Amino acid sequence: MMRVRPPGDRRPARGLRAVSMAAAMIAAVLLVAAGLAVAGYNEGLFRAQAAREAQVQADILAASLTAALAFDDTDAAQQYLGALRANPEVEAAGLYGPAGALRSSYRRDPSQTLPVRAPAGAPASAQGQLVVTAPVVQAGVRLGSVYLRVQAEPAQRRLLRYAAIGLLGVMASLVAVVLGAANAAQRRANRALAEANQALHHQIEQRERAEEALRQSQKMEAMGQLTGGVAHDFNNLLMVASSGLDLLDRTQDPERRAALRQGVRQALDRGAGLTRQLLAFSRRSPLKSEVVDLGQRIEGMRLLLERSLREDIAVRFDIQPDLWAAELDPTQLEVAVLNIAVNARDAMPAGGVIVLAARNRPDFSIDGEEGDFVELSVTDTGEGMAAETVRRVFEPFFTTKPVGKGTGLGLSQVYGFCRASGGAARVTSAPGQGTSISLYFPASTKPLTQTPAPAPAPAAPPPGTVLLVEDDDAVAAAVSAMLAELGYRVVRASDATSALAVLDRGGAPIDLVFSDMVMPGAMDGAALAELVLERRPDLPVVLTTGFSEAAEAASRKGLKLLPKPYRIEELAAELAAARTAKKGS
Amino acid sequence: MAPRPAAAQSTLAVAVKATDLYKFAAFVEWPPSAFSGPADPAVLCVAGDDPFGPVLDQAVRGQKIGGHPIVVTRLDHVDRGAPCNILFAAPSRRQSPADALDMVRGQPVLTVTDEAGDPNARGMIDFVLREGRVRFRIDPRLAERSGLLISSKLLSLAVKP
Repeated sequence: MMRVRPPGDRRPARGLRAVSMAAAMIAAVLLVAAGLAVAGYNEGLFRAQAAREAQVQADILAASLTAALAFDDTDAAQQYLGALRANPEVEAAGLYGPAGALRSSYRRDPSQTLPVRAPAGAPASAQGQLVVTAPVVQAGVRLGSVYLRVQAEPAQRRLLRYAAIGLLGVMASLVAVVLGAANAAQRRANRALAEANQALHHQIEQRERAEEALRQSQKMEAMGQLTGGVAHDFNNLLMVASSGLDLLDRTQDPERRAALRQGVRQALDRGAGLTRQLLAFSRRSPLKSEVVDLGQRIEGMRLLLERSLREDIAVRFDIQPDLWAAELDPTQLEVAVLNIAVNARDAMPAGGVIVLAARNRPDFSIDGEEGDFVELSVTDTGEGMAAETVRRVFEPFFTTKPVGKGTGLGLSQVYGFCRASGGAARVTSAPGQGTSISLYFPASTKPLTQTPAPAPAPAAPPPGTVLLVEDDDAVAAAVSAMLAELGYRVVRASDATSALAVLDRGGAPIDLVFSDMVMPGAMDGAALAELVLERRPDLPVVLTTGFSEAAEAASRKGLKLLPKPYRIEELAAELAAARTAKKGS
Repeated sequence: MAPRPAAAQSTLAVAVKATDLYKFAAFVEWPPSAFSGPADPAVLCVAGDDPFGPVLDQAVRGQKIGGHPIVVTRLDHVDRGAPCNILFAAPSRRQSPADALDMVRGQPVLTVTDEAGDPNARGMIDFVLREGRVRFRIDPRLAERSGLLISSKLLSLAVKP
């Protein structure tokens, strides 16, 4: 998927930016306010300071003029006052006698005036001028007073200060403006991004729809191929079975009859194998893992392989001694080997050799899996495959055979089985060079799974009465015949409700319930089994089904299940096992 | 401000000197031993031939020196231990100013003389005429030896000796 945020996700970020923008504006305003406040405070401080300074200056002047005033020394007084010229802020100063008459004076320039009589009162400031007076006192005696007028503040300095404050304000506003502009630009960019994002989403959706349509059409094509192949295979099997039965009626030769029976049996077995293969492909057939000796298993297939292949094809085995064990589903293994062998056979129309080799691959690494592996390879001397075919050989429904000749499922089953077993599969082939398909399984250190010996017949309890629950009359008739053949008495019910009725009626004692899983009515086989377990815990129940999903559900519930189709031996073993288990518990 | 009268105009010069005499006190610090109590009068002694007459009495009337009311005492002869705070030593046949000054030498007494030619007969403050105006010269070391402190404000007005 694209890593593009949907439009809705931008909101918190935009909110955040709005908040930060507002914060910036507030900060700018606060900055200006603080600047003005500081300026005002400074102004106040400065004025007070200026007043203090002027007062101190007046006091000093008064002190230094004391003797001159006391002894009427005009020269000395004029000297002291003239010294004020060093301070450009002093505009005028006056020395007044005890009666308030002006004795001596200083003017910065002639335009300045002085009060004729000594002014009284606190310091005053007006028109940028600060006026202070100080008494001239010596030894507690007031000799007169001093008048001093200074500029409160030089104009250029005041101007400079206000200019600084103004500059501060201008800069603060500038910051706010820049922030605002940046914010607006970002918002515009975000809008553009959101639009682009939406367009992208639209395109993604369209593409997804197109891909879905393509997948659907590919599936339909695959279904067509599959249906063709399966139908062809089944028709062949049915042809064999049908002709076999026809011929059985027409001959009395025991040898010929045995051959025909075996032919029909083989056709049915292959049909069952075909459906199992289909289920395995759809991944609904759970793996029943066992720890097996691959070499032994492969050797055990010798007869099967020779029967499946043509006479002009030789099968050779090259099994390494002391081969490691592997944990896998032996049935699936056999299906896989068979699939590969059949492919090899078809690749050698003029005959050839198939070599089945097995060897240990210590510290091996393949498809991201690492460790000790056991490798099983099937190599033929056939026509080989082009690189393009090699690349697609494990794809489901991929087949080079004409419609009706193959399902395209064989090698995909091989690949799926290897991956499900924690291993991998590889193909090596080139046109004219033959093909080698290798299967890799993780080596197992567990002990080999012991194949349970068939239950000894004498241990099986004597056959009793079976309640057969089956909605299909044909199947019911066939199974009834098989049960009768095994010595069971059969009571048939066509659905779960009537089966319960039979049990409740308590007529003939029922020793075992053998029920189909999928039946018409409100209750299926699994529900019936649970009800029976509730009412008659001692009564064994065996379920049967041809549906892989129903079989899985039954397995999860721990119910005994016999998958369809089954042979009479399997039926006998399963029923006997169920009864023995009930007795034993 | 009117120019101070010349010495020739003796009456005016005398009046100025009479006023200056008590005004000096404001710029002089006496040691605490000079007065026995805060209400003690400050005694201004005029020794020898009194040049001031009633002018001095009028000038000091109601004036105080550091809270002490000023009392004018005229002495024909200054003895050792004379109870003066300020002594104006004028020449007379009975006692020379130098002798009068000798009597209070080392005592906390501000001595003032008028136009003393002989440096030995000169008081701590000595009136002089400069450019027709009454000025004074000051010998601060002499004052220090008697335990008196003369303000720098007054010193700044003094002329060079």
